[in-house]
Amino acid sequence: MNTLGKLSFVVVVFVMALSGCASKPKSYAVLLESPDGSTGRIVVKGSRGEQVVSTARHGVPLDGSSAPAPVDDARFAKDFREAMAARPVLPEHFLLYFESGGTELTPESAGMLDKIIETAGKRSAVDMSVIGHTDTLGKADMNEALGLKRAIAAAELLKKKGLNAHALTIESHGERNLLVKTPDETPEPRNRRVEISIR
Amino acid sequence: MRIPAIAISLAVSASVWAEEPAIGYVKNVMGVATISTGGQTAAAEPGTAVHLGSVLRTGSKSSMGVTFRDETIMSFGPDTELTVDEYLYAPAQGKLKLGSKLAKGSLNYVSGVIAKLQPDAVSIKTPGGTIGIRGTQFVVKIEDEE
Repeated sequence: MNTLGKLSFVVVVFVMALSGCASKPKSYAVLLESPDGSTGRIVVKGSRGEQVVSTARHGVPLDGSSAPAPVDDARFAKDFREAMAARPVLPEHFLLYFESGGTELTPESAGMLDKIIETAGKRSAVDMSVIGHTDTLGKADMNEALGLKRAIAAAELLKKKGLNAHALTIESHGERNLLVKTPDETPEPRNRRVEISIR
Repeated sequence: MRIPAIAISLAVSASVWAEEPAIGYVKNVMGVATISTGGQTAAAEPGTAVHLGSVLRTGSKSSMGVTFRDETIMSFGPDTELTVDEYLYAPAQGKLKLGSKLAKGSLNYVSGVIAKLQPDAVSIKTPGGTIGIRGTQFVVKIEDEE
């Protein structure tokens, strides 16, 4: 092959590679900043390799064939505009605290009930979980029951005050899910709580 | 006037006696979207329940947003199909798992509590490869030829 022949061969291969890219876009994933402002990682394992992406707005093909690289703005907008626009409102949380040993809310927490109802009322098809917790004072099975009593008490107060939820689940984690880690048999006001998730 | 009352009581008993609890709910739909569970397909609208094994689909020029119990958020662009294969959310027992399969289309994913408590418990399978998620937000697009 003479020089001209070699050159045109190279050009043809180059053009084929380019047109191959243009007509056959690869499936890909793009890392984004989380709503809380942090950025985590994604790990993509495909038939042609494994890639870790830890920089926001960098993407990788799902076959793992090439390293993370910035993604073209126009392509990003075209591929993801609808999925991103459909993202539901982010969930919100509230913590209600209780006096020791029973189901009576602290005065501050009783004052938060209206705010919870207002928050739920702004959402479409709102679903909520109400999870009761205790501190480590007393036996584990008694605390399991007390956590449930607290969750039921909180849910009933909310309903009585006019809460309107599409779905609501009530459960107890007893003393198994401490907010503040303590040894057994330790009174801790911050662990005597009901967590409310509004989704 | 009796018919609506019967319809309402049936709907209530169906939701009370459903064998599996909902793992998430549809929050918004544009255009046409469906949820298929145990061979039954229903049009998706705000409040439609998602169960373990549900297949979530959107039509052309359509989109849908879903929030799961652990606050994982998934929203889908047009012509998308995602199956929820595994879902375990019992933080007090340390049982956490979210496995799904994206067959086609586009997805915006935001991590929930499962990914925060147990980062290796969340994965999304696609025709081209598997995505592991370590507490973050990302988007993924499946192209036809794969």
